[in-house]
Amino acid sequence: MDEAKKTERKRKRFAARLKISKGIICSEGSESNIVLCNVGQATGFEKQDVVKMLNILPSVKLKNFIAEKGESHCFIVFHSSENAKLFYDAYNGKERAGNVPIYMNYVKNVPNSEVVCTSNDPEGLYLLTDFISETEERAFLQLFDWIDESNLKNRQVKHFGYEFRYGSNDVDLSSPLSENIPEECNILWERLSSYGIEFRIPDQLTVNKYSPGQGIPSHVDRHSPFDDTILSLSLGSSVVMDWKHHTGKYVPLSVPARSLLVMQGDARYDWQHGIQPRTWDPVIEIRNSNTSEQVRVLTNDTVMRQMRISLTFRKTRQGKCECGYKMLCDNNKSDIIGDEVASKLEELHVHQVYEQIAGHFSSTRHKPWPKVVEFLKNTPPGSIVLDLGAGNGKNVLKRNDILQIAGERSSGLLDECRRQSRGVAGADCVRLDLLGAGLRARIADVVICVAVIHHFSNQARRLQAVSTIANLLRPGGRALVTVWAKDQTKSNYLCKDKENLDASVHSTVGGLNLPIHENRTQFKHNDLLVPWKLRNIKEKKIENESSTTLLRYYHVFEKGELDKLCDLPDLVVEKSFYEEGNWCVICKKI
Amino acid sequence: MKLITHNMLTSKCLKGVLTGYPLAIKATNIKVNEVDFNPDFISRIIPKLDWEVLWKAADSIGHSEGLPQTIERNYDEDKEFLKKAHRVLLEVEVEEGYLTCPESGRQFPITKGIPNMLLTEAEVQ
Repeated sequence: MDEAKKTERKRKRFAARLKISKGIICSEGSESNIVLCNVGQATGFEKQDVVKMLNILPSVKLKNFIAEKGESHCFIVFHSSENAKLFYDAYNGKERAGNVPIYMNYVKNVPNSEVVCTSNDPEGLYLLTDFISETEERAFLQLFDWIDESNLKNRQVKHFGYEFRYGSNDVDLSSPLSENIPEECNILWERLSSYGIEFRIPDQLTVNKYSPGQGIPSHVDRHSPFDDTILSLSLGSSVVMDWKHHTGKYVPLSVPARSLLVMQGDARYDWQHGIQPRTWDPVIEIRNSNTSEQVRVLTNDTVMRQMRISLTFRKTRQGKCECGYKMLCDNNKSDIIGDEVASKLEELHVHQVYEQIAGHFSSTRHKPWPKVVEFLKNTPPGSIVLDLGAGNGKNVLKRNDILQIAGERSSGLLDECRRQSRGVAGADCVRLDLLGAGLRARIADVVICVAVIHHFSNQARRLQAVSTIANLLRPGGRALVTVWAKDQTKSNYLCKDKENLDASVHSTVGGLNLPIHENRTQFKHNDLLVPWKLRNIKEKKIENESSTTLLRYYHVFEKGELDKLCDLPDLVVEKSFYEEGNWCVICKKI
Repeated sequence: MKLITHNMLTSKCLKGVLTGYPLAIKATNIKVNEVDFNPDFISRIIPKLDWEVLWKAADSIGHSEGLPQTIERNYDEDKEFLKKAHRVLLEVEVEEGYLTCPESGRQFPITKGIPNMLLTEAEVQ
């Protein structure tokens, strides 16, 4: 009797708590839905656990199990309130998860977070389930499971045939590895032929070991190093692979253990695939839509991942890729961004981003850049200095004998800039753009333009920006211009342990596709998007957790490119140097 | 916006505008912030300015009192003058208001002390 009272007390307490913290209204009368108050996705409670509980209640059928991500409660939907009552009476306060009794309440409404994906599967993608037997799977696992190999950020990896080079995402055909693809894999080829799929026998194998929680960013296997069939054999655990097309199509695909995934055609060349880094996957159901077409539904239900080993087989390519899929082909390098697109691109991926990150950005930049200090050191009293693209004004010097006008486009940064330069006698701020600066010609003795020109997205605009600088300088005046260098090998920017997978491509304005850079790795493209993990500032402290990632456009410069850009009729490049990952020039107006 | 800055601003970038200078000031909020007086700096900067534009700008916002309309030959020895010039150039600030292009009438707002000279790409020549 005491036990029943205790359960009732607990149940009520949980009902109150769910109402306050989650807005879930529990019913006192019986309903056909039950909320399990203290177990859920976050506590590791799964559908399987409910199924077990139902084993001794043969008349009760489960309609739906809903365990939302990160929650420590979950919902069970039954076909009737009678069913729900049977379940409730049998288990409320009596069933345990680990040592803790599970408490339940009836609820009228349950959340629906199902996602219906209507996109058709990628052409050329074949999922061959049960491609190998369980015995064969065990043999493969023994062959490839290992303790410690080169450890990538997200997973463990081993190569056969040729080493896959993560810097360039290709192989060096002139230096094959001593270890070929193990003979044990030969059974796969004949079997695959029996499915009527045409392919050439692979000569390169990458084995990846994914622990639960690990993933791989969305990517396309580079076109030029590898042929048109890529095979992926899964061992150990199923996983949901996300397929994304640049037209916005999205296909989540559950790839079970012992299956072989064949990627050819569109799937190979025109779609990106990736695996989200999480310890669980949503359960995907194929249902008939209203128009009786089959659709994939990401249900509320989840399964926990296990250790998964994937074998990716590729055939190296001799010569160029001639796939004809322009969007993701690395053989197709037309990088001229039209003016209209350029303007929209900069609005979205430069101006708007700086407005959003102004506070956080500013909190990471305080001191004037030493090269700027050095450059301005010999500026005589009475000089007019223009800092174009001044940002938060970190390069505004505390001098009262020169005029310093800080020009900046971002109003958020300008507010910071004004705060910084308040009290400096000759400092002032103007909101302006380098393409049409709003300042009188030939007024400046000195111009500094630090880390600005790499945000203009085509050559004509970069040239226009440099022309503006030349125009503002008086004859004999000097400018310091710096841009981000493509070559980061002589800077502190690179992080040794990071790989650049050449992974994601972001589809942006005007149908333009730009690669997303992996921070702290060597640049591989000239035009790209660099992620900025935005952190909020609360009570003057930066929060540790990043809330949003924003993408900033950059054109990173080749060696000599900036010199060439500044080679205008009235400008002479006096000095050119590389400094901490930046190309810098000092030029003089003649 | 300090008046020394106003001396440098132009709307010449606007399509069809020839000089775009000087911009007329309409101030709704003016502040005076005291900053370091450096007579050497003021002496050296004056030759780089359009004094007539400065005087008219100061006059238009009611801060020309005691400021000569033209520069004397030995202005750099006149401490009183340099002090006045310092005040008008660096201490009088337009916090709110707008600037107007003399040719096209296009207005550029001044908010929180910062003139907004941004143009749309369609407006630029």
